[in-house]
Amino acid sequence: MNPKLYTFLWAVATVIFIILSSLAVASVAKLIARWRGKNQLYQSRTFAGYFFASPWIVGYIIFVIGPTLASLYWSFTRFKLPEPPVWVGLQNYIQLLTTDDQFRVSILNSIYVTLFGLPLQLATALVLALLLYRRLPGEQVFRMIYYLPVMLAANSAMLITWRLVLNPNNGILNTLIRMVESVFPFLVPVRQVVVWFTELTNAAFLGLQRGDFNLLQQTVARGLPGPDVMPLWHQSQLWSKPAIIFIGVWSCGAMMMIYLAALCSVPTHLYEAALVDGANGWQRFWRITFPMISPATFYNLVVGIIATLQIFEQSYVLTDNGGPAQSTYFVAYYLWRSTFRFNKIGYGAAMSWILLVLILVLTLIQFRLANRWVYYEYEEA
Amino acid sequence: MRKPNRREPFLSRKVRQAFSNGIVYLLLLAGSGFMLFPLFWMLSTSLKTMEEANSPRITWWPAQPQLDAYRQVLTDSRWLLYFSNSAFVTTLAVLGTLVSVAAVAYAFSRIQWPGRNIVFFLMLSTLMLPYQTTLVPQYVMFNKIGWVGTYNPIIIPGFFAGGALYIFLLRQFMLGLPKELDEAALIDGASHFQIWWHIILPLCKPALATIAVFLFVGNWNSLQAPLIYLQRTNMYTLPVVIANLINPQVRVQPWPLIMAASALTMIPLVIVFFFTQRYILESVALTGTKG
Repeated sequence: MNPKLYTFLWAVATVIFIILSSLAVASVAKLIARWRGKNQLYQSRTFAGYFFASPWIVGYIIFVIGPTLASLYWSFTRFKLPEPPVWVGLQNYIQLLTTDDQFRVSILNSIYVTLFGLPLQLATALVLALLLYRRLPGEQVFRMIYYLPVMLAANSAMLITWRLVLNPNNGILNTLIRMVESVFPFLVPVRQVVVWFTELTNAAFLGLQRGDFNLLQQTVARGLPGPDVMPLWHQSQLWSKPAIIFIGVWSCGAMMMIYLAALCSVPTHLYEAALVDGANGWQRFWRITFPMISPATFYNLVVGIIATLQIFEQSYVLTDNGGPAQSTYFVAYYLWRSTFRFNKIGYGAAMSWILLVLILVLTLIQFRLANRWVYYEYEEA
Repeated sequence: MRKPNRREPFLSRKVRQAFSNGIVYLLLLAGSGFMLFPLFWMLSTSLKTMEEANSPRITWWPAQPQLDAYRQVLTDSRWLLYFSNSAFVTTLAVLGTLVSVAAVAYAFSRIQWPGRNIVFFLMLSTLMLPYQTTLVPQYVMFNKIGWVGTYNPIIIPGFFAGGALYIFLLRQFMLGLPKELDEAALIDGASHFQIWWHIILPLCKPALATIAVFLFVGNWNSLQAPLIYLQRTNMYTLPVVIANLINPQVRVQPWPLIMAASALTMIPLVIVFFFTQRYILESVALTGTKG
């Protein structure tokens, strides 16, 4: 049977199922309301409310609650399809947290991108938002251009384009860098230092990750790279994570929009008062703008951390299965790999629970710390 | 008499203003260049010959732009099939999700029912749940009922109002509509279904359009689920095919072809964004201020 027709028929069946189950849920809710002696109007509101909300309620039970509980159970089992799961207790978790080197590498890589990538992304988004905030003519067009990458970034067509752009030999990015440097020769030593710094930090990080500092020793021994050494991007384990960060910065448009909205909501009388007091631009930014837009920073940070922990497409497409030398293994990628490539369902389930706990803890910590630095003008009564 | 250190600035206020605006423009243009240059490179490479694309010498723009790569993609029945696969999955998923999200948002905004706050809180809490937590067990479930290798696991879950963020966005929008609308209609004997379909939904068109675009983008770009569930090559969607286009065994990659296919994949996204950017940018800003 044609796979599209097959799915279309299933879609029709699903719609019928949703309507019927919604009627059932709503009728039960109405019966309970009647049994509790509520009036006719209350009963009909109950019926309508549950009827319209049921698609989500039923979906929540089938696709969220059921699977989540099942995955909690499977995380304590050894489970390879098609054989049934075998209870192994805490073994998966113990293995993940103590002996699995690849998982440790993935967690540390995710932390690397969060620590170094997210601040860069936030800073770029803020700078772009501040530029747009001038409201110069043509601002609409710039806004559109800056947001466009957000729509495209996750598509493998875009990531494969980045492979071409970042190609160290005849890629356009390195060529552009050389072109700019031929106009401004004083930038060459700057680039040498940046390359050296990136390679050293990455070599040090890889060393810490693997407990093997050979690469770091080699990098140190090589000394300051010559003027012809260009970034190797996705083809080197010293540059693969910076490459992914670079692409992340490229698609910071959503964060920029949130900053822009926050900037527009800062009351202008604050700036006027500061001008009267003789504050300069730098002071106005750090004493007024930055505290006033801290809720936007907080939102971007929370959403950004969750998104960073779920990086998958970049490892799969850009660096070709987490390479070179596992330098772009991230939590979500390693989870996908061991679950669906190696059919380790129980192991993957345990990993997804660690990921969930990690996200919950990080978000909770941020909400706790938020009291210290996030400023809400209108406290809720 | 003026003291020397209090004299008029060297340049007048107006000139300084123009100067600083000029610098801002330069920076804005540089930023645009940064955002657009990968797209320019995609387009330029797709018009090159194989030699131009793979030579170590950079060709900014091909001397004679070639449309061969596009012709090759658009006349290849396999590529047309991949396009139709992507279009099918995206259309069905967007439609099913949009209608169900609209229904649920109506329940959360225009009807008072017991338990509404609890259900709403549960819904918001799923925002914290990483995709991966349900991915693994859902795979087992779909494997049990024989749906692995079909489009069902990619499309059907959306029909159950998949996407708490969209429900939330639409609910905010619906809360802003005047209460009197449905009260008057209820007195006239209209049912909730009629109110939802004939009164509320037409008023929500901008919000619905925005959500449809977000859903379109998400489904069109989706890689992970199709990778897991689609097994036969003739069912692949575009992102899966394109992700596997590079053959590491070969030294010379068919870059013009790869870039032509990529450009054709991006074009629907760019067109949709171009026509709806106003609403989209507004609602992106909204998610942050409500957060």
